[in-house]
Amino acid sequence: MTARDRFGGYAFVLPFVSAYSFLLILPFIMGVWISFHKADLFGAREWIGPDNYVRLFDDPIFYQAMGTTFMLALMIVPALTIITMLLALALNRATRSAAIFRGLFFSSSVLSVTIVTLIWRFVLTPDAGLIAKVLAAVGLEPIPFLSHPDLTVPAIAITTIWWGLGLPMMLFLAGLQQIPQDMYEAAALDRASRWTTFRHITLPSLRRTTVVVVMLQTAAQLQIFGQAQLLTSGGPSGSSRPIVLYIYEIAFGRWELGYAVAAAEVLFVLVLLLTLGQYWFANRNEEPGR
Amino acid sequence: MTRCKLLLATLAALILGSCGQIDDRPTLVIQRFFGECGAVYGKTVDVAKAETECGILTTMLNKFVADNPDINVKINVVAWPGYPQLAAQIAAGDPPDLVTMHQSVISDYQVRGLLSPMNDLLAEAKIDTRSLTPAGQRGAIKNGHFYALPWDTIGRLWHINTSLMAKAGLMSGGKPVLPNSPAELLEHARKFKAATGKPYLIQAQVSAPDYLVANLYTYLLAQDAVIFSDSRHIRLNTPEARAIVELYRTLNAEKLTTTSQDFPGATASFVNGEGGIFPTGTWMIGPYDEASKAKGSRLGGYAVVPFPRLWGKSAAFVDGHSWVVPADNRTPAERRAIARFLAFSAQYNGDWVRTGHLPAFRAVLDAPSFTAQPHRKDIAAMAATGQQLPDFVQRQSAIQGLIGEELEAAVTGIKPVDVALADAERRVNELLSGI
Amino acid sequence: MTAATGRNRLPWPALVGVLIGAAIMVAPLLWTLLLSLKSNTELMRDSASALSAPYTLDNYRDIVTGSDLPRWLLNSLIVSLGTTGGVLLLCSLAGYGFARLEFPFRRTLFVFVLLGLAIPEQAVILPRHQLFAMLGWHNSYPGLMLPGLAAPFGVFFMTQYFRAIPKDLDEAAMLDGASRLSIFWKVLLPLSFPAQATLGVFTFLGSWNDYWWPLISATTSDKYTLTVGLASAQMNYAQTSGLGFLMAQAVFASIPILIVYIIFQKQIVGAMAGAATR
Repeated sequence: MTARDRFGGYAFVLPFVSAYSFLLILPFIMGVWISFHKADLFGAREWIGPDNYVRLFDDPIFYQAMGTTFMLALMIVPALTIITMLLALALNRATRSAAIFRGLFFSSSVLSVTIVTLIWRFVLTPDAGLIAKVLAAVGLEPIPFLSHPDLTVPAIAITTIWWGLGLPMMLFLAGLQQIPQDMYEAAALDRASRWTTFRHITLPSLRRTTVVVVMLQTAAQLQIFGQAQLLTSGGPSGSSRPIVLYIYEIAFGRWELGYAVAAAEVLFVLVLLLTLGQYWFANRNEEPGR
Repeated sequence: MTRCKLLLATLAALILGSCGQIDDRPTLVIQRFFGECGAVYGKTVDVAKAETECGILTTMLNKFVADNPDINVKINVVAWPGYPQLAAQIAAGDPPDLVTMHQSVISDYQVRGLLSPMNDLLAEAKIDTRSLTPAGQRGAIKNGHFYALPWDTIGRLWHINTSLMAKAGLMSGGKPVLPNSPAELLEHARKFKAATGKPYLIQAQVSAPDYLVANLYTYLLAQDAVIFSDSRHIRLNTPEARAIVELYRTLNAEKLTTTSQDFPGATASFVNGEGGIFPTGTWMIGPYDEASKAKGSRLGGYAVVPFPRLWGKSAAFVDGHSWVVPADNRTPAERRAIARFLAFSAQYNGDWVRTGHLPAFRAVLDAPSFTAQPHRKDIAAMAATGQQLPDFVQRQSAIQGLIGEELEAAVTGIKPVDVALADAERRVNELLSGI
Repeated sequence: MTAATGRNRLPWPALVGVLIGAAIMVAPLLWTLLLSLKSNTELMRDSASALSAPYTLDNYRDIVTGSDLPRWLLNSLIVSLGTTGGVLLLCSLAGYGFARLEFPFRRTLFVFVLLGLAIPEQAVILPRHQLFAMLGWHNSYPGLMLPGLAAPFGVFFMTQYFRAIPKDLDEAAMLDGASRLSIFWKVLLPLSFPAQATLGVFTFLGSWNDYWWPLISATTSDKYTLTVGLASAQMNYAQTSGLGFLMAQAVFASIPILIVYIIFQKQIVGAMAGAATR
């Protein structure tokens, strides 16, 4: 192999890798560096070693935020996975109406977070919201979705599920289309029931897609931010404040850049471990070479 | 192939976009919040006819641009409250020349050296600082220097639905009967609810830490309680503070107030006559006055007073808007431009206070055009008595957020009052010790 | 697209489920649209008035005539198109390199790129802000576009897609003496159009809807993108006195995106299928 052959590949890969290293990896490393300092937004830097991390582990608000984040992820990921899988199953047909419904369920994903939260604020708010008006029409009291400590987290979860149906549904649809038709034909010949077909053909074939969906969604929902900030401001009293909102408040509210970045690094490690863990768990029984 | 063309077109647009014209005039970047009302006000310069904070400010700025063609004025509108953006701009080394800032936030930036002292600029603008109201001066002075040109004093008031109060028997001689102690307040509230079936208070408690903190500060200041013993310590878990928070918690618990409203909800409620009293700020005087006079209005009568004296003496915890000048290297021409703008701005204080805020200039406070406006006489005293936190207190804005969060837990019953106050104290002391 | 699984009719519980789901999807959107077509004063009295006439286009008229909206739209367009073009170029090149070519440390480099998927935005946005401040790159189109180029998902996606294309085409071209670059440019790139469309749409979407980076990087309003501009135009208390206008802004800002989505719908589905093949 000539040197050109051997190293030519770099020419293709390097433009991206350079941009990526400069725009993502370098700031990330800078961030890690800053997290060992007492730093503010305006340039003050003082080396304090691991003190930010020590402080973080003693911080009850940090734990509250972590708890809220995990609760949100637990409310969102399973529900989203199941709903989108069912939708994909129901809409995986070549009819015109199925195409229209697919488009409908995908349409919410194209909106930005500021718009989605604006829309859902005026669905959920007990004063002028759609739900409140409907409840009033049947004589019921409005429900304080955005201010009751037990309701704010579900409210954010519902908004996020509504917003995020598109991508997982598409992934499941693609996964379903990979399943060879012969398997279904064989099952039909054997007069297998719908449920049996589903359990023994469809579900196992969707395994890989399901794993991808769960992994992507977990990583995404652990980093949830906009909905919490704009719907409830993390309230009341921090009961719906996920970790990224806490990081934002430390950075822009208290100007403690070092502490904020330390919390972000802890989040990164968590997301990484969880994602790798999910990947390992899903693939531990896989035959090699697959 | 279309992709290539698209890419080339984008590059071309980029290049063209970054070429500016050569401009010798000094540049003045003015940054403000209050939103955008270009649809209504466009480029008009008639300040006397404008309404609302956005309208008056927009027309004022339009007039300045029109009157000063030798200054290159750039106006930035930022989303409320604009502070994350300002922090990012300062961090990027590209701050605006003038920016709207609440007086309670000035200390945060001033203490880090991010604002220019303005005594010289004010002198150049021929503004005599003694002509400012006491509250205005207090708001703008930090560590003995002026760091802002105050525009107004924002007080918190009780906006009262007098027809409902009458129904509850709480009017006397055409004026609302106000409580003189916490026990009396509860008594009136229960009486009101029994007579009208509606909550005595309408409060915007959701996502409103500033409101909760203002209540606490007001009544602590009324009792001359020491809130900040020094620049590193706050004292909140005190009998006075507990008593204040207990009162609000009781109001919530007995449903003598609305409990799950944010500001839009609360204001709509008040206008629709769904409660007796809405404690909110000076900026709502105009809208409510109009609403009460409109045909078919459900707000059957309107009065407004400063917070009633419940403990100690009469006190008002106030804030205000102001122009500040972020620290930066500027040419003498640019500094002159800033001074010119400050001088210009001071002339329109009388127009600004049509919004309902109290003026920052004594002359405007005494002018008949001000006192003739509805309800202004009832609240004018706040311009003299209104207090803010001592100027050695740093990070007032950040502190407000922390305390507000804990107060939210206390008044809604999530945490016991003393635990919430102790937590607030701990968190604020931690913040202050880290500075 | 392969047909359904031999069943022609949906069992009725599934049909009911889909219809309920569709209603839940549509209701908030319809509500928003209705709110945007009412006058602000009517809404202030009671938002339920959105459910009945009269309706008006005043809010939309106000958006178009007031404010810097055209400027913001243009900025969003420039930034989103620039980012999308850049991502498609860089990620296609890299995807081809990782999928088809051998070079030392190829696997390591690929894992290095994938690591980026786990890095949360918040961990890098502030240091990146400081970095750009040191270089003086803020408040400019390149400053707004560049962060979007670090797209590990794009490389992952394109690599998977290229891997799925049979190698015979490459080999045939190589026999004809084509260079790697021309194989890429003339053979594989055209074949990957569905993937380009999908990645392009997602990148455009992400860039169009981006809020925090433009907020802290664009320091003067002539560089605001649509998201930042719309946020700045809201008066405090806009939710009280300007609800209709607020909702009209939301609808207005979504229209370009919805158009893009409708045009590219088919490609997205096709590419998803292609990329899922391992």
